[in-house]
Amino acid sequence: MELHFGRAFAALAPSLLDGVGIVLYITIVGFLSSLVVGLVLAIGRLSHNRILNVILIGFIEIIRGTPLLVQFFYIYYVVPMLIAGFASMLFGVNINVQIAASTSGIIGFAINYGCYLSEVIRGAIVAVDPGQREAGLALGFNEAQVLFRFIIPPALRNSIPVFGNYLVMMIKDTSLLAMISVQELLLRTRTFASQTFLTVEAYTILALVYLVLSIPLSQAAKYLEHRLQRPR
Amino acid sequence: MSMLEIKNLSKSFGDLEVLRDININIERGEVVVVIGPSGSGKSTMLRCVNLLERPTNGAILFEGQDITRLGRDTPSYRQKVGMVFQRFNLFPLKTVLENVTYAPQRLLRLPRGTAHFQGMEYLRKVGMESKADAYPNTLSGGQQQRVAIARALAMRPEVLLFDEPTSALDPELVGDVLAVMKQLAREGMTMLVVTHEMGFAREVAHRVIFMDQGYIVEEGTPEEIFGNPRNDRTRAFLARIL
Repeated sequence: MELHFGRAFAALAPSLLDGVGIVLYITIVGFLSSLVVGLVLAIGRLSHNRILNVILIGFIEIIRGTPLLVQFFYIYYVVPMLIAGFASMLFGVNINVQIAASTSGIIGFAINYGCYLSEVIRGAIVAVDPGQREAGLALGFNEAQVLFRFIIPPALRNSIPVFGNYLVMMIKDTSLLAMISVQELLLRTRTFASQTFLTVEAYTILALVYLVLSIPLSQAAKYLEHRLQRPR
Repeated sequence: MSMLEIKNLSKSFGDLEVLRDININIERGEVVVVIGPSGSGKSTMLRCVNLLERPTNGAILFEGQDITRLGRDTPSYRQKVGMVFQRFNLFPLKTVLENVTYAPQRLLRLPRGTAHFQGMEYLRKVGMESKADAYPNTLSGGQQQRVAIARALAMRPEVLLFDEPTSALDPELVGDVLAVMKQLAREGMTMLVVTHEMGFAREVAHRVIFMDQGYIVEEGTPEEIFGNPRNDRTRAFLARIL
């Protein structure tokens, strides 16, 4: 077997560089959104409202119990049809709804990772010393102020290493978006391989690109974990 | 009218009665020390005074107003009542000075400069001004507790509650904290102190209350309680602890 890594890299690299841009864009926006979703869900779960809790637990279980890829398909193909269907049913208008593939990806990540992160954040909130709440209350802050000023900041800080791990997972999970036609790394590589038959080279280069993206991040997460444990 | 009147206060956790028919009056400038064996309800009583625990029955009047009925105004009442905890409960992500200035800036709306200036004054008062930029976890327990006292003082409270402020400290660090508390007492601060430090009670208290099994068993001047206790349970407790 003859391998042509040089030729493959020269031809594939520019395309993959564009793909890296798309991957980073979706990951950054998706991850920030998932943090917001996670925080909102975590706070909702901490409320003493039974009905709200049941609804949120049900939602989180549905999301965690179905594959991310299925959720991407659902958002990309099914949700637009549902919106169009409801629009014609309720308002009698026919509209053509489309959600861009990359937007579907961001929404999917926000919801899916948001559900996982909500459990991380909720655990971290519960783990904050109850003395912090009492100190805040005793000074004269109300419950909401105490939550946002004295409970959530240390909880989020303590969760940073876990967030780092989820961020690395999200980068790798962007490869699923090839299935809904996002021009990310896998789709570009597959197209290239099928045109040039440089299959071994193309997919090996692809794997290396993912490693180059994820290894520094997971190292950074490890470093942060180490640093956060050390007294400052 | 007393500054603080605790009237027929009782507190239950489920079937467990922790406080039964507690009555205490505290005058402005008075130092009242509450002693008693662990589980006697003295900490719960203290926590009821700033509503960290909700009383089951009875009333707590602060300047004539029943604070158990405040509802949404509870936080503004708590601003007037400082609390010092057994385990300090400083904010770990804030520096010593930020711990002291945070609440006055946010709640009393003090400008940053004023809050810092006053914060440094309070830190000087407790002998911690040299650690203003340190983080709490770099301090000893005694230092943390003195910062916690400065943090409570910075809200200019009308009364200070101390919940076993020296119980979590190494013995050699207790003295510094007690010295600060004595200084406050001399300056006329109204204080309600739950403690096992009998020396402090004897020296500083205007009045000593002995609690056992949720009741106030005996109440009097330090001379009366330590010199000539009338109740058997008080005598037994003091014999054990002294």
